Amino acid sequence: MTAASRRAPANALPRILGPIRPRPRWTEARLLALAAIALVVGSVSLRLGLEGEFGLANAAGLGIYLGALGLAHLAQVLAGRRTDQVLLPVVGLLGGISLLLMQRLPQGLVTLGEGEAALGLGDVQLVWLVLGIAVTTTIAIVVRSDAWLRRYKYTWAAVGIALLLLTFIFGADVAGQRLTLRLGPIGGQPSELLKVILVVFLAGYLSENRPLLIEQDTRLGPLRLPPLPYLAPMVAMWAIALGIVVIQRDLGAALLFFAVFLALTYAATGRLSLVVIGLVLFLAGSALMANLFEHVRDRIDIWLDPFADPLGAGYQIVQSLHAFARGGLLGTGLGNGLPMVGGRLPIPEIHTDFPLAALGEELGLVGVIAILGLYFVVIQRGLRIGASAADDFRAILATGLALIVGVQAFIIAAGNLKVLPLTGVTLPFVSYGGSSLLANAVVVGLLLALSDRGVEPPPPPSSATGWRRRIQRGSA
Amino acid sequence: MDPFLLVIWIIRLLFLALLYLFLARVVGSLLRDLRAAAREPGASPGRLVVVESPAGEPEAGRSFDLDAITTLGRDVNNAIVIDDPFASTEHAVLTFRGRSWYVEDLESTNGTFVNGRAVAGVSPLGFGDEVSIGQVRLRLERARST
Repeated sequence: MTAASRRAPANALPRILGPIRPRPRWTEARLLALAAIALVVGSVSLRLGLEGEFGLANAAGLGIYLGALGLAHLAQVLAGRRTDQVLLPVVGLLGGISLLLMQRLPQGLVTLGEGEAALGLGDVQLVWLVLGIAVTTTIAIVVRSDAWLRRYKYTWAAVGIALLLLTFIFGADVAGQRLTLRLGPIGGQPSELLKVILVVFLAGYLSENRPLLIEQDTRLGPLRLPPLPYLAPMVAMWAIALGIVVIQRDLGAALLFFAVFLALTYAATGRLSLVVIGLVLFLAGSALMANLFEHVRDRIDIWLDPFADPLGAGYQIVQSLHAFARGGLLGTGLGNGLPMVGGRLPIPEIHTDFPLAALGEELGLVGVIAILGLYFVVIQRGLRIGASAADDFRAILATGLALIVGVQAFIIAAGNLKVLPLTGVTLPFVSYGGSSLLANAVVVGLLLALSDRGVEPPPPPSSATGWRRRIQRGSA
Repeated sequence: MDPFLLVIWIIRLLFLALLYLFLARVVGSLLRDLRAAAREPGASPGRLVVVESPAGEPEAGRSFDLDAITTLGRDVNNAIVIDDPFASTEHAVLTFRGRSWYVEDLESTNGTFVNGRAVAGVSPLGFGDEVSIGQVRLRLERARST
């Protein structure tokens, strides 16, 4: 009643799921075990720092998280796809560090529910992390064809723009930014999902028009450009980015979208002239925005000299710099940083915008470099998956997904360190927030699905040949 | 020094050390992956996969590693022989110049098509594009690196 009877449905399924043969994933298992050991040690260190006694800080939470990672690993082993084995442990470690951080910060920052059953910051983050792992695993196992992404690229673009417009019109203003969209009880930040949709659309557009973009038949002074109609999307992107800045006041998302757009255009065409035009447009747009809009000018002034108003506008940045300075080389140790100042946190919005400052204080320069190293690994995997992809669509898609994570991490890390003006994007996989974690879970899931080196060739491009032939055959 | 403080300090450093051990392991596995890819032969700039071939020569599903100049047609002297009644003896040529592929129709009787559009002269070709010669459809793909 075991093996034989179970094989029958497995053989009936292949049409949808493909032949299912478990395949061990030893690299992933070893790396996950190492990440789990590191997180357990981190949890012990956290308890010692907070309460001065041995034991795990919130053992149940850590147990649930590690269990979820283990299940994700098992599910992938059973599914037997030949997908990347490094991404899950790396992202899992980042998520685990996020869990430790959220358990360590004051739990009252975020509460869900009322009274006895109320969930604090750490618990809510745990729920989102586990949901994220579930999303990643499901996409990695189920998505076997990318036809639904490449064929409907204009539909995706329309969905993205609709999301953006809905946020423009119905969005709720939170702290001067119109980012949150509420539909009944469900609220979220569409710009997080929008970034994934943008990459899917760009991959479809660039892979289809790559040959035309490479041709250069328009001359503009020393620059040689592709045919002018093919530059329209570039101008449209620029306009959308400016719209996000003006209406949503979301500098971070605008910067992220435009940077990823330029990088993908360069990756697809190899033409520096397009990047130069993009940068010129970007500088012109920035200058225009800084002159016209106060909130943009404020951000830049704070960036140039936060100490001009250390208790007012520059407060966050100044406190963040102090936190990094307190951390020094090796950090104060988990649980030892961030004394409450007069009953409130020294850095407002630390759980969403400044997790790196908190980690910089408690783990020091050494810890921050390790965390940045983890992001570099994610980027490397994405570019590698792109480089070995069989066709342009998959290559550009994988590159774009990796850059979304990498550029976003760079923008917020640089913002915390006063390298760039501070913008309110999240630190992927680490910041508190459901929209951010789930959108990044989708990114990792897609990267895993794209990395499959199975036997199935990519489907033919979305061209007229398919349906035209079918029609011809039907009429013949 | 208080031994308890010493233990706290050691555990703190142990956590950082484990982070780096993890990174080192990950980098090791990435390097193995890159070395394996570098050892693979096949500096081929691309390959052509037969999607559909009613006449059976070449077989559907077969893939050809391409040279920088690859000729296609019914004649046996072509690099890829396409034995199809609607293909010309010297039908088309694929060339790899700089960083991309181009296809040129050699004034064949029935023409060469890229994604269903007829090729006039030399036309650029992207990875994932489909070339039709007679009734045979071929797809250009990047050479498998792993």
